[in-house]
Amino acid sequence: MSKPKARGTSTQLTGIYRADSIRDVAESLGITNLTDSVASALASDVEYRIHQVVEEAARFMRHARRTTLTTSDIDQALRVLNIEPLYGHSAHNPPTFRRALPFPQLPQAGAVYFVEDEEIDFDRMLREEKITLPKPVSWTAHWLAVEGVQPLIPENPPAIPKETDMEPPVAGAKSTDLPRTSSLLPTPGVTSQTSKKQQQQLVKQVLSRELQLYYTRLTSSLLPPIPSEQAKRTAALASLRHDAGLQALLPYLIRWVGEGVVGALKEGAQSDQDGRVLEVLLDATGALLDNNTLFIEPYLHQVLPPILSTLLHSTLPPSHSTHLRTMSSQILSHMLTQHSTTYPSLSPRIMKTLLLALISPGKSKGTREGAIRGLIAVGKEAIRKGLVEGGGAKVVGSECGYEQPGSLVNSVMDAFRVLQQPSDMPVSLDPDNDADEPVVTQLHEVLGDFFAERLVGDGVWARGVLGISMET
Amino acid sequence: MSGTPVASTQSPDPASAATQEPPQNGLGIDQLVLQYLRSRGHTAAEKALQESVESGSPDDKGKSSESTASPAISSEELIRKLAVFAQKPSRPGENILKETANVLQELAAMGNPSSIQNLIASIGTLGAEDILSLDPTDKTEGFRELEAWVDGSLDMYRPEFRPILFPIFVHFYLDLIQFGFKEAALKFYTVFSPSLSASHSSTLHHLSTLLLPAHVQNDELAQRFRNEKYAVRMSRSGFGLLVGWLTEGVGGEALGAGEGFSGEKGKRGRAAVMRVVNNHLRFDVTPSSSTAVSPYAWEESTGLLSSIIPQTSGSSTIVTSALTFNSSKGELKLGQPPLPEELRTETERVLREQAMVDRDPAAHYDLQFLRPPAVAGVTAPSISDLPPHPPAFKTIDVNREVEKIRDARKRIRLEPSALHGLDANSPQAAAARSRALPSICCYTVHDAPEGVPSCTFSPDTSLMAAGFSESYIRLWSLKGEKLRGMRSDFQSNAVRDATSLKKIRERGGTTTRKLIGHSGPVYSLSFDPLSGSAAPPKYLLSASADATTRLWSLDTMTNVVAYRGHQNPVWDVQWSPMGIYFATASRDRTARLWSTDRTSALRIYAGHLSDVDCVRFHPNSLYLATGSSDWTARLWDVQRGSCVRVFVGHQGIVSTLAFSPDGRYLASAGEDLAINIWDIGSGRRIKKMTGHTASIYSLAFSAESTMLVSGGADWTVRCWDVKGAGGLPAKRDGMVNGFGSESANAKDEESSETTDLMATFPTKRTPIIDVHFTPRNLCLVVGPHLSPEQR
Repeated sequence: MSKPKARGTSTQLTGIYRADSIRDVAESLGITNLTDSVASALASDVEYRIHQVVEEAARFMRHARRTTLTTSDIDQALRVLNIEPLYGHSAHNPPTFRRALPFPQLPQAGAVYFVEDEEIDFDRMLREEKITLPKPVSWTAHWLAVEGVQPLIPENPPAIPKETDMEPPVAGAKSTDLPRTSSLLPTPGVTSQTSKKQQQQLVKQVLSRELQLYYTRLTSSLLPPIPSEQAKRTAALASLRHDAGLQALLPYLIRWVGEGVVGALKEGAQSDQDGRVLEVLLDATGALLDNNTLFIEPYLHQVLPPILSTLLHSTLPPSHSTHLRTMSSQILSHMLTQHSTTYPSLSPRIMKTLLLALISPGKSKGTREGAIRGLIAVGKEAIRKGLVEGGGAKVVGSECGYEQPGSLVNSVMDAFRVLQQPSDMPVSLDPDNDADEPVVTQLHEVLGDFFAERLVGDGVWARGVLGISMET
Repeated sequence: MSGTPVASTQSPDPASAATQEPPQNGLGIDQLVLQYLRSRGHTAAEKALQESVESGSPDDKGKSSESTASPAISSEELIRKLAVFAQKPSRPGENILKETANVLQELAAMGNPSSIQNLIASIGTLGAEDILSLDPTDKTEGFRELEAWVDGSLDMYRPEFRPILFPIFVHFYLDLIQFGFKEAALKFYTVFSPSLSASHSSTLHHLSTLLLPAHVQNDELAQRFRNEKYAVRMSRSGFGLLVGWLTEGVGGEALGAGEGFSGEKGKRGRAAVMRVVNNHLRFDVTPSSSTAVSPYAWEESTGLLSSIIPQTSGSSTIVTSALTFNSSKGELKLGQPPLPEELRTETERVLREQAMVDRDPAAHYDLQFLRPPAVAGVTAPSISDLPPHPPAFKTIDVNREVEKIRDARKRIRLEPSALHGLDANSPQAAAARSRALPSICCYTVHDAPEGVPSCTFSPDTSLMAAGFSESYIRLWSLKGEKLRGMRSDFQSNAVRDATSLKKIRERGGTTTRKLIGHSGPVYSLSFDPLSGSAAPPKYLLSASADATTRLWSLDTMTNVVAYRGHQNPVWDVQWSPMGIYFATASRDRTARLWSTDRTSALRIYAGHLSDVDCVRFHPNSLYLATGSSDWTARLWDVQRGSCVRVFVGHQGIVSTLAFSPDGRYLASAGEDLAINIWDIGSGRRIKKMTGHTASIYSLAFSAESTMLVSGGADWTVRCWDVKGAGGLPAKRDGMVNGFGSESANAKDEESSETTDLMATFPTKRTPIIDVHFTPRNLCLVVGPHLSPEQR
């Protein structure tokens, strides 16, 4: 109601309904001697009455929650104004007004409109036309917002570029009893595959050409890693680390990293080239996490697998393995400090993966080492839980046997050092001492013989690792 | 109290100035003259009038009411009035009076008193033409001067002076129409309406449809303008300046406009303005300085207030402001409704038992929810205050209360305050958003080309009902259960127990059901709240354009009662929060209270000046809020039937309302695209929230009353921070959308969004007709999908 009014204020002023029309009507009724004043007064009055009806109809339109006035609103308005409604108009097929050809002999008549009355041939109708029933009213449900973020699903309008930070959140995990049908079609249950595809198309349309170009340049300068182009890589990584406005590219970059890591690891990852690729990819991930203009939270579940895969992969290229594992554990640690407060399930998830890799039988040494490095990255509590309480050290110790100390053993010792600094002047535990005896027993029980041997030489350290306070 | 200062400066006799505005003005002046002439006989009248024409002196007071009121323009004015009077019987649209002979001829034909014929004849051809062609200009000039003066005034006064323009415009326009100067009126409208259309477009449009004196006589709005004083609030100094300009023509006029004031034209224009100011305006002079008033304050204190504000019967003083009225009505009991003691003990018992069975250690905390802490500053009603309810409670009541407590524990807490003072790009903001904003599930109705006038969810979210323009109601089970009614071919004496009742249920059935019974569009639906969120509701109420409200049993899926009483379409219906009673709002300007077991209304709430568009119960069922097309919302005492609060401030029809669950606030949305939050206790407006770009259809508060969600015809759902400060953003780089916007300069047109708009969720061509919060704070919205082919 308000909208047409705002428009209407300036346009019509000398009256929409013309005195000529009144005269035409009068002539059709056989009144020929209508004076100008009477005609114009009547025209004004007719216009007023029409406005009255329209204003009344607008109320019905508003209560019917529509923004288009229909013939049914006019009918209702006429009814409440105690005027007989005009029959024969339905809102289903609104009448179409046609403009008549201008009369050459009467140019002042202006445009004449009339309602087209289509002639229907019953015979043809009965023979040819199949009467289809209209579809019954139905409903579908979808998430308009999940915890304040609008998911990018086909049911929701595509995000306008300025809102691209509203990327798809982790909606699937939310289980509710509400029905979820994922299509605007009345038939529910289109497979998630197609909807995913649609989603990708939707996002693609949003990416500007500049961003697409940037993406191509960036990825090509990072990979393949040619040693001579170190400077170029550094520049690309710096751009990733500091540039604002990469939000729209974020899903693509993350996918690129993920696919790269999978590709490198699938081929056995023995060559130096693979090691370098992994290194670059980890650098890129770290840079993305460092960029504080990016809203990376919804993608953490996609970032995690490449990092953890690198960390826990059994056979990394020997030349790079230690470096790669250290680096990925550093990234992990960085991610945890930044996001564990806002993503409470992050650290439990990582812990679970790491513990599984550490304890479950049949894992390679590389995996075990990665898991221990990961635990170091997670923190003291994680080390205690994994190595000491979870029996990780025992497992590692039994697997190593009494071989020469390798990187795996080193990593375990590193972890112990994180738990408790070895004392400067080690006082060894004496199994015969009453005070030390339970500690030694416990040491053997908890850490296994292999590491118990290594810790027995430093009483304070051993106690710290076991979590026994100094006083006992 | 106001108005008199102006009157005294201008009229020699304030008493007569006061009396010269009889309640039935409009035609009053003309009739007065007519009566006068008739009573005195022709010659005397003619003589007196001639005298006044020639001398123009104001001393013949009492002979003509008009001449006493306006001494400065007496002669032309008088003739003009008489001329109008003369033309009235013949009702010409044009300035037919330009030809005196024509008039005389017509007058003679009509058999008018010869005195007027004589009078007009005496004026002469030249004189009449002169006067009539000249006359409308004083209004045009006067308004032009006034507008120039207002625009030229100091910045600090301009917001105060702007509201005067509108009533003066209206009265000038109505004057011109009433005196038959249609062309002049249209010209006046064309010239001056654009500057006013921003805030008054609907009223202006309505005025533009009035084209004949008869319309002014019959039109309701015009008559309200004629018969009521238009209230304008002003500071003392601003008022002083206005008086100064009206009398002396000095005081802050625009540069270069000064010339007009010295001339005769300027004086006549000002006199015309002064006449309207004296007769139709009431100044509410406040001692506060003009800068201390908020920019929206004029909405509450300007307008035709006297009829909007209910007058207390018995008291002699006329209440002129909503605040005075609201404070005169005393305290309200806005607290939570009490639970009957037996019901409470039974609920406690059930809760304890369930806690034992479930071994749920958290469950015993539930008991604390049974006795909610009293909210500071509100009085809780006692059981005797509530409308009568059955004394004994049933299992359904216990289940409802138990479920209510469980909901309270499992609720998702929404804390809009978490977003305060956070940088939108920081990683914390994302987490804060998830704490602050709800999850919204959108139900889209397809293949409803005519739109869906009403749609609602049951309190336990198991059912959805939609009312259609085609007079039927469609019911859907959201859980996918089959909706089965009763067979019609059973013997009622065969039903003995539950199993035999099961036998007469229909076989098969689908998850949707059509309820047919109305004979007009169904405008509102309401599920009964008795089973709460514990079980599916048993009844549904529907209101329709056929002036009936119908009660549907969801057991039998049939219409049980039709409540007749309204004479006009029923726009809205709502159950009382405790069942049994319900309220309806209708086009017949009343709201009514009904009880399900009686077919006639228990109470009629009358007082709105136009359609009552929506009705809502206060959570403790003591009060009823109504929103109306007269741009106000009112709060009624349900039992006494009296109006206890009036909320003035919307600049359009109030289309929907919502009470906050804590019972302290009322949110109202209007066709002015604003949402106002009112403090019910004091009746004051807390804030105005803008941002929607089309009609707002539905409002809902979250269970903690901290967040408001609105849906409307602009295909969006918006979340508002109720407790936030609000206001329009001072700088454009603020948190306009809950997101810090890097492209702040790209949203010029969105600057109407107040800062308490937390988020906007657009839909695909789906106007949101209903917004609903489940007791656990999940937000459900519903709307029909409009196919793009539709215009």
